[in-house]
Amino acid sequence: MIRHFALPLLIAAGLSLEAEGPVLSPAETRIQAARRRIAADPGSPAHFNALALALAQRARESSDQAYYDRALETLKRSFELAPGNFEGEKIRAWVLLGRHDFGAALELAKTLNRKAPDDVQVYGYLADAYIELGKYAEAEKAAQWMLDLRPGNVAGLTRGAYLRELFGDLDGAVEFMNEAYARTPPGEAEDRAWILTHLAHLQRLLGRFDVARRLLSEAFRLYPDYHYALAELGRVAMAQGENAEAARLFQKHYRLAPHPENLFLVGEALEKAGEPEQARSVFLDFEAAARKEMDGADNANRELIFYYADYAARPEEALRLAHFEIARRQDVYTRDAYAWALFRSGRYEEARVQIEAALAVGVRDPKLLGHAEAIRARRQAAAVR
Amino acid sequence: MRTAREILALPLAALIAASPHLIGANHREAPITALDHKADITDFFAFVSYGPDQASNTPPSKVTLILCVDPLLEPANGPNYFPFDPGIVYEIKVDNNHDAGEDIVFQFQFYTEQRLPGLFTVYAGAGNGAVAPSNSPAPVAPGTPLVPPRISGFDSPGLGQRQSYRVTMVKGGVATSLTSADGSPFYAVPANVGPRTMDYAALFEKGTYKLPGGISVFAGTVDDPFWIDLGGAFDTLNLRTLGSGVPGILTDAEDAAGRNFATDTVSGYAVNAIAIEVPIEMLTSTGKVEPPGSPAATIGTWATTGRPRVTIRRSPEAVIHDGLVRQVQRMGNPLVNELLIGTGSKDRFSMDHPSNDGQFAAFLLDPALPRVVNALTGGVLAIPAPPRADLLPLVTYAPPIAAPNTPPGPVADLLRLNTGVPATPPAAAHRLGLLAGDAAGFPNGRRLFDDVTDIALRVVVGGVLVQGFNKFPNNRLGDGVNVNDAPYRNEFPYLADAPDGRNRRHLDPGEEGGGPVQ
Repeated sequence: MIRHFALPLLIAAGLSLEAEGPVLSPAETRIQAARRRIAADPGSPAHFNALALALAQRARESSDQAYYDRALETLKRSFELAPGNFEGEKIRAWVLLGRHDFGAALELAKTLNRKAPDDVQVYGYLADAYIELGKYAEAEKAAQWMLDLRPGNVAGLTRGAYLRELFGDLDGAVEFMNEAYARTPPGEAEDRAWILTHLAHLQRLLGRFDVARRLLSEAFRLYPDYHYALAELGRVAMAQGENAEAARLFQKHYRLAPHPENLFLVGEALEKAGEPEQARSVFLDFEAAARKEMDGADNANRELIFYYADYAARPEEALRLAHFEIARRQDVYTRDAYAWALFRSGRYEEARVQIEAALAVGVRDPKLLGHAEAIRARRQAAAVR
Repeated sequence: MRTAREILALPLAALIAASPHLIGANHREAPITALDHKADITDFFAFVSYGPDQASNTPPSKVTLILCVDPLLEPANGPNYFPFDPGIVYEIKVDNNHDAGEDIVFQFQFYTEQRLPGLFTVYAGAGNGAVAPSNSPAPVAPGTPLVPPRISGFDSPGLGQRQSYRVTMVKGGVATSLTSADGSPFYAVPANVGPRTMDYAALFEKGTYKLPGGISVFAGTVDDPFWIDLGGAFDTLNLRTLGSGVPGILTDAEDAAGRNFATDTVSGYAVNAIAIEVPIEMLTSTGKVEPPGSPAATIGTWATTGRPRVTIRRSPEAVIHDGLVRQVQRMGNPLVNELLIGTGSKDRFSMDHPSNDGQFAAFLLDPALPRVVNALTGGVLAIPAPPRADLLPLVTYAPPIAAPNTPPGPVADLLRLNTGVPATPPAAAHRLGLLAGDAAGFPNGRRLFDDVTDIALRVVVGGVLVQGFNKFPNNRLGDGVNVNDAPYRNEFPYLADAPDGRNRRHLDPGEEGGGPVQ
């Protein structure tokens, strides 16, 4: 794989020096290069795999999920040429994760892991799927194998960082992310920007807003208008009480990454900024868009739950959706949404069980802590009466 | 709260950069171990001691365990030579209750001193030393000592790089330091640089330590005790054509000879070895020497190398041993990872615990190697059909190694040793061990001179333990290398002197003693 991408990187460097033509992102460059290779040698499954991988990368860069569908289409050709080829199957696992089909991704990753237990990437897919499904002990095992098999590998470090964060070890998460950043090649601008964004996220949770802002400035320098960094900057602004600025940032973010859950952020920021009418209009748009995808794997149901619980005064609908989601995955954020739907429905004891199960993992997200406090206070008040 | 879309978006180039496309097995078996030469285990031996203090026809009294690491050390390769790595925990492990878990662990950790930091090489010496002569240019005055005396002990000033080591026994969760009677340190025997620089034999003798309680320890650079036509074996089993006219098949005379007909590729190379000899009572679950018919007589042994580990959960108790070391390599039976485990599983095998070896059972019970040989010979060599139950004694506690009523335990690659079987006196011992009726030889433990290559070829490929397969040519498979190039000792640590760097010699195909090219 390294062989296939070494050349495109050189091409990317060349292009950026030329005046004519747009500067391509790393993924776009790889897409172009893979297409050239396919044109020159249409019988090689490796070229189709390279194209599928580049399309999957473009999905992340652009936040356009349609690239995942194109990646799957491309893989079909790879499998026609070499049925069941391992590299192709690995990319398919990656795409399944991207499409939030966690169950299928997990089954495929398990099969691949049995075939080649030395493959570090496959442990990454196992870890991702387990994390999303809330199976943290299994996720930790898989990520630990990544770090043991290839100490210092970036993919293992980023997974390790995320698990440390979930386990409440924010400093440890920063340590892993810093090491991941140092080990990511400077040419991988988007990857570096991604890591910086996550470092900013961790620094925000640690209350170091200035550090977070500096990290995000660097992310924007590397990758202008980076959609993840815009969202994180919005969250930093909100944490600092700069709600109007947050709303502006989230609006820009939504223009670049038009997913309903991103519109929900805009609504919340406007509400906090004292713009209830604008917020209402945004929330209605959000609700319409989110309901369109509510039955699919890739949905905005967690945001929809909070919307019905906090803004639309429809706790019964929040709870209905929460039941649907919690049956599918038991990660801490889904448990939090479920707990909040229970709370708003007056089912305080069940809410306590759910939020405590989430906090028992170790997570110290301020939103979850706030919910836990509200649930505790309400139960105490009920006990006093 | 982050959305799943974000969380999932883990760095792609990170994945690409991490792509472990390192495939290929060789003497350094697993890809990760190939990258970590110092932690690479080349061989592991476990046998009932047959030294002079073991009177013949008496019950066995001691067991010797030897771990070799750091393959194919070229003895002339100065100026840094081959210190043990202080960052590695070297361990020899013993299971004595048949569950494939470690009940007794011997840990070795090294410490390096650089005593001559200004000198260009780590070892220097000549005669009684040399001083600046009368015509020495200023500012070095005539008479100034320049070359230290020949190294003959661990206090010799020319021993610039000096390594000491600590030995710890962990038993029942309790760690005990194994020390000399007066508490003086153990030193590792250095590489044999050459006759001018050092008296290697004197260092070897001084580096063999007798501890209270009948324990002996040794660590140092020695002759690589293994011998094999490595080049022929890994050129897709392109073994040499000897007297039989068929490659890889020995004549009766070649089979019986105590000399070599093919190239010992490992000849003239050194290796780093760690050896410990302990009374059998220290190893058995009953604390007694057990008769061979007792299940408690049979132990399972293996060795590991480990390095400090970064864990996702940071332990607040830094003294906890578990979790701080990631296993780099392990070895029980010889040649299992090299010859049986598929390339996509070698790292996981190296780093996993033997009690999890059930996941590799398919490799062990339907090994690819016999099929490869079957194909290469065009079907001339008949091989047994899977599942290969005849290989179970290698991976479970079963006869003929263990007593018939021994619990088999899980499938696990352990070197099993029936400590109740008396050692065969060296003159009567046979290189083919158990196959030749020498009950104290491989696969009942493994001695230095057990020809595990020929035994593995005959047992794994030829299937000679399966009814109907113990016949020609299956029982004459062999690489034509029958003995080591250097003479082993007949007492602890049993290992041979390291070849000296100045005069070392590697035997090549086509030369006297190196066997034919074809």
